[in-house]
Amino acid sequence: MTDTTTTAKSPILEVTDLGVKFWVNDEWWMAAEDLNYTVNAGEVLAIVGESGSGKSQSSMSLLGLLPSNGRATGSAKMAGTELIGMASERMQRIRGNEISVIFQEPMTALNPVYTAGFQIVETLRVHLDIGPTEAKERALELMRLVEIPDPEERFHSFPHQLSGGQRQRIMIAQALACQPKLLIADEPTTALDVTVQAEILKLMRELKHKLDAGIILITHDMGVVADMADRMIVMKAGRVVEAGTADEIFYNPQHPYTRQLLEAVPHLGTAIEGEAFGADVADIADSAAVHEAHEGDAAADSRAREAVEAAQPASLPQAPGITMDSTETYYHPGSQADFSQPAALQLRDAAIEYPSIGRKKAFRAAHHINLMVAPGEVVGLVGESGSGKTTIGRAALGLLPTVEGDMVVNGKSIKGLSNKQMRPLRKEVGIVFQDPGSSLNPRLPVGESIGEPLYLHEKMKGPELSKRVEDLLTAVELPTSMRNRYPHELSGGQRQRIGIARALTLRPKLLIADEPTSALDVSVQAKVLDLFEGLQHEYGFACLFISHDLAVIERIASRIAVMRHGYLVEIGKSSQVVSNPVHPYTKRLLSAVPVPDPREQRKRREARDAVLEATANA
Amino acid sequence: MSTNNDNQKLLALDETGDNAIEAKETEGLSQGRIVFRKFLRHKGAMISIVVFALVAIFAFSAQGVGPIPGWWIYSHTASGPVTNPGGSPTWSFSNFFSLGEHPFGQDEIGRDNFARVMKGTQISIIVMLIIGGVSLVIGTLVGALAGYYRGWLDSALMRVTDGFIILPVIVVGSILGKLVGGSNGPMLGLVLGGILWTGLARLVRGDFMSLREREFVDSARVAGAGDFRIMFKHMLPNAMGVIIVNTTLLMSQAIVLEASLSYLGFGIQAPGISLGQLISEYQTSFATRPWLFWWPGLFIIIIALCVNFIGDGLRDAFDPRMKTIPSWRKMKKAERMTQKEAK
Amino acid sequence: MTRFILRRLLSTALVLLVVTFVLYMLLNVALDFFWDLRSSTSPNIAALYESRRRLLDLDTPAIVRYFKWLAGVGGCVVGQCDFGIAWKSGQEVTSQLQGAIANTVKLITASTLVAIVLGIAVGMVSAIRQYSGFDYFITFVSFLLYSLPVFWVAVLLKQYGAIDINNFINDPTVTSWVPIIIVCLAMGLFWMGALGGGGKRRLITFVAASVITFATIYYILASGWMQQPSIGIIGVIVIGAGAAVVMTFLSTGLKNKRVLYATLTMAVIGALLYMPLQYLFYYQDMSWLWMLGLLIVTVLVAIGVGFAFRGPDPWDTVRTTFFTGLIIAVLIFADRVLQGWTEYSEDPAINNRPIATIGASAPNIDGDFWITNLDTFTHLLLPSIALILISFASYTRYTRGSMLEVMGQDYIRTARAKGLNERTVVMRHALRNALLPLASIIPVDIITMIGGAVITETIFGWNGMGKLFIDSMRQSELDPIMAYILITGLLAIIANLVADFLYAVLDPRIRVNA
Repeated sequence: MTDTTTTAKSPILEVTDLGVKFWVNDEWWMAAEDLNYTVNAGEVLAIVGESGSGKSQSSMSLLGLLPSNGRATGSAKMAGTELIGMASERMQRIRGNEISVIFQEPMTALNPVYTAGFQIVETLRVHLDIGPTEAKERALELMRLVEIPDPEERFHSFPHQLSGGQRQRIMIAQALACQPKLLIADEPTTALDVTVQAEILKLMRELKHKLDAGIILITHDMGVVADMADRMIVMKAGRVVEAGTADEIFYNPQHPYTRQLLEAVPHLGTAIEGEAFGADVADIADSAAVHEAHEGDAAADSRAREAVEAAQPASLPQAPGITMDSTETYYHPGSQADFSQPAALQLRDAAIEYPSIGRKKAFRAAHHINLMVAPGEVVGLVGESGSGKTTIGRAALGLLPTVEGDMVVNGKSIKGLSNKQMRPLRKEVGIVFQDPGSSLNPRLPVGESIGEPLYLHEKMKGPELSKRVEDLLTAVELPTSMRNRYPHELSGGQRQRIGIARALTLRPKLLIADEPTSALDVSVQAKVLDLFEGLQHEYGFACLFISHDLAVIERIASRIAVMRHGYLVEIGKSSQVVSNPVHPYTKRLLSAVPVPDPREQRKRREARDAVLEATANA
Repeated sequence: MSTNNDNQKLLALDETGDNAIEAKETEGLSQGRIVFRKFLRHKGAMISIVVFALVAIFAFSAQGVGPIPGWWIYSHTASGPVTNPGGSPTWSFSNFFSLGEHPFGQDEIGRDNFARVMKGTQISIIVMLIIGGVSLVIGTLVGALAGYYRGWLDSALMRVTDGFIILPVIVVGSILGKLVGGSNGPMLGLVLGGILWTGLARLVRGDFMSLREREFVDSARVAGAGDFRIMFKHMLPNAMGVIIVNTTLLMSQAIVLEASLSYLGFGIQAPGISLGQLISEYQTSFATRPWLFWWPGLFIIIIALCVNFIGDGLRDAFDPRMKTIPSWRKMKKAERMTQKEAK
Repeated sequence: MTRFILRRLLSTALVLLVVTFVLYMLLNVALDFFWDLRSSTSPNIAALYESRRRLLDLDTPAIVRYFKWLAGVGGCVVGQCDFGIAWKSGQEVTSQLQGAIANTVKLITASTLVAIVLGIAVGMVSAIRQYSGFDYFITFVSFLLYSLPVFWVAVLLKQYGAIDINNFINDPTVTSWVPIIIVCLAMGLFWMGALGGGGKRRLITFVAASVITFATIYYILASGWMQQPSIGIIGVIVIGAGAAVVMTFLSTGLKNKRVLYATLTMAVIGALLYMPLQYLFYYQDMSWLWMLGLLIVTVLVAIGVGFAFRGPDPWDTVRTTFFTGLIIAVLIFADRVLQGWTEYSEDPAINNRPIATIGASAPNIDGDFWITNLDTFTHLLLPSIALILISFASYTRYTRGSMLEVMGQDYIRTARAKGLNERTVVMRHALRNALLPLASIIPVDIITMIGGAVITETIFGWNGMGKLFIDSMRQSELDPIMAYILITGLLAIIANLVADFLYAVLDPRIRVNA
């Protein structure tokens, strides 16, 4: 299997003039056309594009998995066999056997009522003539191959009992069951946290070498492409705009769209001079030295100094000082919470709970948080899902109760305030939500949504209100005519602009931005971030910017706070955290971020694998 | 229940171009107009609306409402000479087609069946609408409060709902019907509305619970809106789909329930009149005068069927996941055309 | 899980208690305990009123009487039930209840099971053929069934399902072939729509289904089957083999020869045992205990055959032989029951009108186990059909809706991408998930059924709880009404419990986490 080096470059799949169309409203709607590419054995071809570019559908058409109103045209030959228009009986023998698929969302892509083991065994037994015992052994072998801990036990687990990463590993094991010649990975890591993504990418790389299969990697994430791809094609609105090797396209993009796309991707480490943590292992030692040099002019706060001293050895690669599970906050010099200063937001040893509903017990989502956002400052709060970062944002708005410590917003404590008491304070706080589709009332015209705070707080009505709404629309660079539109008529980026306009209506002193760009395509994200920065300068609000994306945070925030499992583990200036992380978790997080630069990523990859290895069991 | 929410998620995650398809379909329309347009495309619902409107117009105009007289010469109470032997229907195909004196026939004392069925239809429709209205108000209110406030209020309201659900509506209906029934249709409607709201309440509760998790609710709260405003200005319009659809479906249940109760003798009784009461009164004459049995039954079925189809059309129209039904035949045709062109 | 169920049970029981209290109070106002005396011209009318008042203890406040009633009912816990008396007839409510509960449970169980099986099957096919003619037809039919008033259907059933068919049995002359041919073509269309496929396959299905239907009807008419219905050994063999093939197809697919041979073996065993069983039935008086014993033997044989053929997946084989065995057992049972048809029909109590319209059993019929059962079935037939019609529609709609939802899920796409065939995708991956939400509507539907039974029982004179309720309402007898409320309430609680249990069995997310 692995010794077929001579045939490694033989094409497995040849696609010519592939097109996909859908029957919508009594006419054909083109999703993709004129696709030409080949996939070679042992090679990763990345298909890159933003939503609606047809990258996913065109690949599904290879397996005849289009919805019933979809049609594929053109040709896709696999070892001389035409796939397009193949009879379903024959296609069933190819699916899962010669071509298999890894889907995006492992939670919904696995059947919830069957065990993980059963679902792998099923694939094996459909295509291979083997009995249940042998199939089980093969399945366990596959589970070991994809590095699932305790395969014997996990074999009998249902999908809901597995973590997201484990589910995706099961998905991969299932896809690899019959040693397919071609693997289609449809956004395999998009639904995962960045550290899990790194693990899965690492696994896929290893498997690629072992299995000698061709891989089509469908993704929108340039970092993932840089990490994985040998060759790539860029798609836009159903057409290929550029194709070539990964290096060619990253370093010498020809098409303006490709260039624009690459420019839009936030790149971890660009905000600081030099490279981010994890560029290579040597750097880590270097940055430790930098850290030491800076230590002299660290702030006077004794508590911080203690922490710094405690943390010093930890900045070395295998430093024992702070363990992975440490819940103490490490304060970089200059970032310790000083509650004597005026601040837009202060959390003093705060704990936040989701209150109990009925018989559901209260759940404490954040513990002992000490955090301060100075007036006019942008602090980034980063963490993976379940880290409690959103909890803090919601508590700052009084949407969740602070049960211990204190929460001070614009100089007033909001701990224990009722909804009614909160109301006047809400004038000074705004929020931008993650999903612009969900944060605007679908039944209200957007103008009304924007104007609502004015109407409620300042009793503003009629032409005066209209004027203000129009001003705000102009401020977020939208035409004033949009005020009468409904949210569903707007694109994602437009909706998020409306979301920002609404948050700024009352000129708040503090803005909570909860993953404001994570639902957007990169090019839109870049524009929204530009706008956000501009507005921040103009309005001068303080901001708690919550995101899972370190590159975005690094770009926008002056300080970064890192959360894990409900604890604040590290806080410091962006440059400090990005180039010189102290907590092992932060290191893991930073090293896991793929950068959109194949060469740099090649270097980072080794460091990443080392860090992942070192921190794996935590 | 969480259809809207799921849909949003779908939209956010779906890279398949559905987004674009959706956008293409809904360009420049308000939510209400999209729903309306989808509804208009539902053939069953459209036919039903027309039929139901005709039935209602006929029923109300033929016998008149209150003091306003109707155009039909016979009243539902007056007896007269029996035209055909046994009172059988007088319509025939002589002269191509003629209705005759008593197109639906007469009963044994010569009362005109058409007049009686029209009057019965009228009362049944009124009762149905009252039941729908009462259920709508109670169900929405209970569901909204329970779903919004959750906690103990929710538990309490849901236990109350359980109390209504634990027994069949026909049983509780019989008892209440016995209490207030007789010839008072509207009163019966009010009481039955008081027991039919439970299903709606549960659905509205579910909808409110999922709407409550939507960010626009938080967003409204941050904007300074109070509970009342959030519930009725922000959440209610978003739950309107569930409410309208289920009230409609509930009304089709209501008309059958009223008829059943009247049939059993615990709903509307003579001298009051309704479709169920007519069947009850005439069931023994099924062998001898079948038309007295067929016509009221047919009208119950027509009304219930129409209301059901209208409800189904509304459900499809409000369901964001329901794409417009593709016309496979046209697709096949278009496909063949392109194939021919290729040759 | 157990704690959750116990808590639910307790809270529902409390709710039921409150409901009985409220209804007791309401009934005290709604019922007229003197209705039969109102028009009386008897000279001692005042005394009659007085004695009634004493009989019903009306001078005691209603609240106190409620608690007295409750105390009587509470006696059931220690085995001393006192549900009070039905004053008009003077009977003890306890004795009235005895047959009534069994009758109602019989009626509702039979109807619910048939409705669920039919509803799920039709709903599933309707969902798979979404937007086809078949789907539209089923949608229309289910809405029509929703809209039918039960009492109206019941009267029609009595006329056309019993009186006319009985007439036809006595005088079997076919006046016109046109309706029969229309039925045949309709069946052809139905199966064509249900099985689907390409143009050629559709045509074949259509012709085959029409011809088979016609042949069946022709055989029934020509052989006088209606007068002397039977299945016979030929029937057992043919239907048994058919069941074997269909079960294998549904369960594992016909490609799995091993399972096919196993089920066919079951059919052969059924045919071989047919004659010996007839001797057994002839020489030995049968009872339900015997039947249970035979059923257990059947199951054991099925499991044995399954294991004998086990192959790589013994459980798949056993499951398939089990269901096949069950079908064959029911077949042989039905055959033996039908053998009593002539005797039953000619019984003076039946007088050649075998399809019953009134009651739960014919009076004065004496016969063995088989005749009594046949009698029960002929009586059960019409009221069950009336009940099935209502709830069949809702199961169809729910299954269709939930199936459509599931078929759009990601894991169905995964299943297809694995290379599973369509049968496996639907039966194994989609159906199992689609059944989950159905578990939660079963209790609701059973309560609706109990409500429907009130009407059907009244019309068909079926001596069940529903009829008891309506009769008591008409007679203003408080105690039987309260007994009805309490017992149907309890039935509803049990139905809920069963549904919770079902849900837990079907859904690992609940089962495993609890």
